[in-house]
Amino acid sequence: MLLSLLLAAEDMGPNPIAPENKELLWGAGSFLVFLFVMRVFLVPKVKKGMDARYGDIRSGHESAQATRVAAQNDVHAYEEAVAKVRAEAAARIDAARQTLDAERQAKVDEVNSRIAARRADADRELAAARAAARGEVATAVGNVTARATQLVLGKSPDASLVKRAVDATMNGGRS
Amino acid sequence: MKFSVLAFEFPPINVLLRWQDVLPTINKVVIVSILASLIGMGLFLAAARKDPKKAPKGARNLAEILIEFIEKQIVMQTLGPTGLGWTPFLLTIFIFVYLCNVPGIIPLIQMPATARMGVPAFLALMVWVVYNATGIKHQGPIGYFKSTLFPPGVPKALYVLVTPIEFISSIVVRPFSLAVRLFANMLAGHLLLVIFALLSEALFQARDKILIPVGILPFAMLLFLTVFEVLVGFLQAYIFTILTAVYINMASHAEH
Repeated sequence: MLLSLLLAAEDMGPNPIAPENKELLWGAGSFLVFLFVMRVFLVPKVKKGMDARYGDIRSGHESAQATRVAAQNDVHAYEEAVAKVRAEAAARIDAARQTLDAERQAKVDEVNSRIAARRADADRELAAARAAARGEVATAVGNVTARATQLVLGKSPDASLVKRAVDATMNGGRS
Repeated sequence: MKFSVLAFEFPPINVLLRWQDVLPTINKVVIVSILASLIGMGLFLAAARKDPKKAPKGARNLAEILIEFIEKQIVMQTLGPTGLGWTPFLLTIFIFVYLCNVPGIIPLIQMPATARMGVPAFLALMVWVVYNATGIKHQGPIGYFKSTLFPPGVPKALYVLVTPIEFISSIVVRPFSLAVRLFANMLAGHLLLVIFALLSEALFQARDKILIPVGILPFAMLLFLTVFEVLVGFLQAYIFTILTAVYINMASHAEH
């Protein structure tokens, strides 16, 4: 069957695979005109526009990159300044706190010493008042004892003896 | 004359490939190749007229994508940074071949210009001239043919064998394979689409009603192949362009 097809094809005209002059020449003409226009005018123009735009994009990108680097440097500088100010503020706060603590301690010490002095004065006054009261009590007890002895015995007792007895009694037997 | 295979009538191959002239010397294939050129120029003309400072949209965006695709995926991969001057040439080849391939799946046109030998033959011949001229320019005529036909590092006794092989491979087969690869792929795709379209039509219009649902199978295949041809069209354009770049690179450097 294939053989009959091949044999029959020979009767149908020129070889269909062979190039036809008109197709070759028109194809060549079309292509060469196309190539000339593309090579000389169109591709260089489009390429020039592409290169210009890419150049703009590249320079814009580089500019943006530079701006970003500058901004990052500014941020670093700002952060360093903030850290420095924070450290300085912390140091000042510590110094102020130490000063306050010292002043507070001094005030406390001063007040404590004043309280101690007043307490000592009060103790002394108390002791003096107690001693005065004790003397008066001893005198009164001596008088009562002397009078009672006089009433019982009919004669006045020796004053020094009465005084010793009263003192011994008031001291709890510690004479 | 139509061929009949199990009642399926297939038209002669010349009917599928040879087109009547609509104007003197201008047939559908010629129109497709002229349109490919005009559409390519129109795209870049529209792109060039737009303000390049603004973000690219539409035609400008497509043109820039194409330029970057050629530069990054073809020129930089094969020729390196020094080959960027070849971008317009390679870009033109890529766009022209692709726009000649794609009409194979466009309704009403349905004929890739590259499924006829004329356009691939011219392009391959032009590439052959370009890479040989580049080799002669870079290495001088003697140096170029010496490095091509007498590759360094081969024992001298083997040149008797290697030199004819290199001559046939580099000078004869390379442009031939470049043309035939593109032409055969697009022709095969075109014929496959025709076969499945005719088969679908034959089954949908069959007298035996039981065959009508069976027509869905070739129709599904037709749809799949139509999508596949988009990929094939792009791939063939890419292969043709990258091989061109590779040949230019090989001709530019003696060590290859």
